[in-house]
Amino acid sequence: MLTIDPFVAGESRPSADRGVLADVHGEPLADVGLAPRLAAQAAVNRLRRSADGLPPEPEVFRTAARLFATAELDGESADAYVHRTVRGTGLASTTVRRALTDMATEIEELPATAAADLPAAQLRPTHRVHRAPSGRVFTAVMASNHPLPHASWVQPLYHGYSVAVRPGSRDPFTPRRLAAALLSAGLPPEKLAFLPSPHAVGSFLLNAADRGIIYGNEQAVSTWTDHARVATRGPGRSRALLDVPLTDALLDHLTTSAAFDGGTRCTNLSAVLTSNAVHDTAAALAERLARVPVLPVAEPESVLLAVGRERADALRRQMAKLATELTDHSSPLYGDDFLVDLGDGSFLPRPMVLAADRADHPAVGTELAFPFVVVAPWSPADGIAPLRPSLVLNLLTDNAAITGQALLDPSVRKITDGAVLPWDLVPGMPHDGNYTEFLLDAKGVVTPAG
Amino acid sequence: MTITPAQPPGPHRPPSGQADFDAHVRAMTAWHFDDRTGSPFWLARRSQLGFDPLTDVTGAPDLVRFPDVSRELRTTPAADLIPRGAAPGQVFRVYESGGTTGAPKRIVDGAYRSRMGVWTRQRLTDHGVPETGDWLHLGPTGPHVVAFDTSRYAEPAGGLCYTVDLDPRWVKRLLGSGRQQEADDYIDHLLDQAREILLSQPVRVLSTTPPLIEAICARPDLYELVASRIEAIIWAGTSFSPESLRLVQEDFFPTARLVGIYGNSLMGVAPQRVRTPEDTHPCVFEPFAETTRLDLVDEDGRQVGYGERGRVRVNLVSEEMFLPNVLERDTAVRVRPSSDGGVDGLAEVASVATYEDADVVEGVY
Repeated sequence: MLTIDPFVAGESRPSADRGVLADVHGEPLADVGLAPRLAAQAAVNRLRRSADGLPPEPEVFRTAARLFATAELDGESADAYVHRTVRGTGLASTTVRRALTDMATEIEELPATAAADLPAAQLRPTHRVHRAPSGRVFTAVMASNHPLPHASWVQPLYHGYSVAVRPGSRDPFTPRRLAAALLSAGLPPEKLAFLPSPHAVGSFLLNAADRGIIYGNEQAVSTWTDHARVATRGPGRSRALLDVPLTDALLDHLTTSAAFDGGTRCTNLSAVLTSNAVHDTAAALAERLARVPVLPVAEPESVLLAVGRERADALRRQMAKLATELTDHSSPLYGDDFLVDLGDGSFLPRPMVLAADRADHPAVGTELAFPFVVVAPWSPADGIAPLRPSLVLNLLTDNAAITGQALLDPSVRKITDGAVLPWDLVPGMPHDGNYTEFLLDAKGVVTPAG
Repeated sequence: MTITPAQPPGPHRPPSGQADFDAHVRAMTAWHFDDRTGSPFWLARRSQLGFDPLTDVTGAPDLVRFPDVSRELRTTPAADLIPRGAAPGQVFRVYESGGTTGAPKRIVDGAYRSRMGVWTRQRLTDHGVPETGDWLHLGPTGPHVVAFDTSRYAEPAGGLCYTVDLDPRWVKRLLGSGRQQEADDYIDHLLDQAREILLSQPVRVLSTTPPLIEAICARPDLYELVASRIEAIIWAGTSFSPESLRLVQEDFFPTARLVGIYGNSLMGVAPQRVRTPEDTHPCVFEPFAETTRLDLVDEDGRQVGYGERGRVRVNLVSEEMFLPNVLERDTAVRVRPSSDGGVDGLAEVASVATYEDADVVEGVY
């Protein structure tokens, strides 16, 4: 079994506190050393002692990106990484493999992202804006739903922060590999701490840092939403307004929006508000989503996520509860159960489409970690209210007024105007606000003329 | 049937083996169930036991025949717990359990805990805790017996014991209702008081709880004070993970003696025993053998084997409190008696190191 331990400033700290990470089949996958609060305190002390705020050489990140995607790191090939991450998280291997290259691209584009996120610095020959990290130590409290969010702690490293990472409990593999890539590429070791740890240690680390980010469900992030030093990445509750006739092409588009990467991104579609007939729309979408192939996650063509027995039971309970208030358009297509028993201890939740009878039904906006869509009625009189909050709002409408309201609404974070997908990596494209400005402080510098 | 009036055992006559403890159990049962010496609490329950404690109890294994009466300690008038045979003029004090869940349980104490304190003080000395000098107890006081116990470790050699009062029930209420910031403010308030004492008084020993040790380490001003002044740290009240213990000893306070004490108001204290070469666990607790046995039991109440984890079952058999067969919430690993003698030890109390997996039902993050 793989042994994983915390490491701080390039030094592995084997912990006497240990836990076994079980994979989606219930089999032991890794023996994980856990950092209790005092270990986190020692790590933060260590980081602070040499935190200088100076950005590492840009070459470090270009090299790290390449190594992460392709190299053998700490004896782990890219294939072995994919295999472990698939077993631990239940993500389809296509998702994890794509994340390898997407992560590399995102890291390579850090200079372009910084340039695009920040306005010009030289205001006049004598007046310029200097940007420096808003603090020295950054904490990242991660989840395990997808590898890509881990790019969000490479960015503070790029700008000069020292970073403490608490991995999600099912995926210590991605940050471990990313850290190995960065260190091999020449990142000063004293800039990084990797701290698998109990839940409460994440809160401690966020409090102890100058800036931080937390990924998690509503309960995990709600404590931090009004905290200026912490960026929160909670449920995306991404939704679409379908206010034009439903065509085959639009069905394909909505299906991809919901099922891409197995529905594990916060930008995946969670709700469709429509001025068309609700049940017809839900039935059509359910039928299309039911065609997504059901394959074990290790298969190269797999799309959908697998979960362990406990999560499967929790999903089944939750779906039964939702079905008491909503019309289930998917289960009849599957026979008894939307959860496919893969026979290896894991279960695959097939896409679910449920219909609500009103736009303000509380289930609208419910986000689950697999393709799950609630379809609800919408009329122009409902306005923007049922379309928010939304990490991504997909507008399929000719209603210019509603587009205008969406642009004005602070809780709508990104708009896709038409049948386009939101996840192309374009440097400078905000995911949830301007993250570079969150990390950096601007200060004026005036110099004498001539 | 004739009853030999029982006499409480002499204060310094610890039973050296199981046969002695069995004899002690017989003597104490006779004492607590004799109309002339027993407490109103136990005498009132004698007829409902379904057996005769005077003839049917022959040794420690019979203690499980008694009902677990600890819940009744929430409501019983504490005076009813005082044995009638107590020496005339003996003063009794009343103490309460944590009271963090439901009403607190009460015990009475005359001379017993002081006697246990003498023994514990000796254990602390064996660990290298300074015998003289002042102490700071930064932890629960008031109804909680721990501050009283701690003062007993300082006072024999003329030391003073300063206290900062921590109300654990208030902290529990704050945390239970999500008022983390208020709890943090309260802890800062406690630490400010500790700082004043450390700055002005020659304190050599600190007695506190694991969360407060963590809080001290998070405050550079206080950490420097403690690291430079304190020669021994006694921790109790909550569990400490093995890695936390290692860090406190090796990284944060390498020059201080670190000694843990497991216990609570009901059972008394079980200080950490001095480590022997055979000990694989860095921290093993051992109860006061004269009066106390801590069994580690499985779900069916059977004692688990050495090296196995079980739930703590307390048997406290003293001439004052008689609390047999009390099942605690804690679990621990059963450890063989130390090669220096003594009774079974406990290690890794409670389970603190879990790889938590929040049941993420809603939200992909």
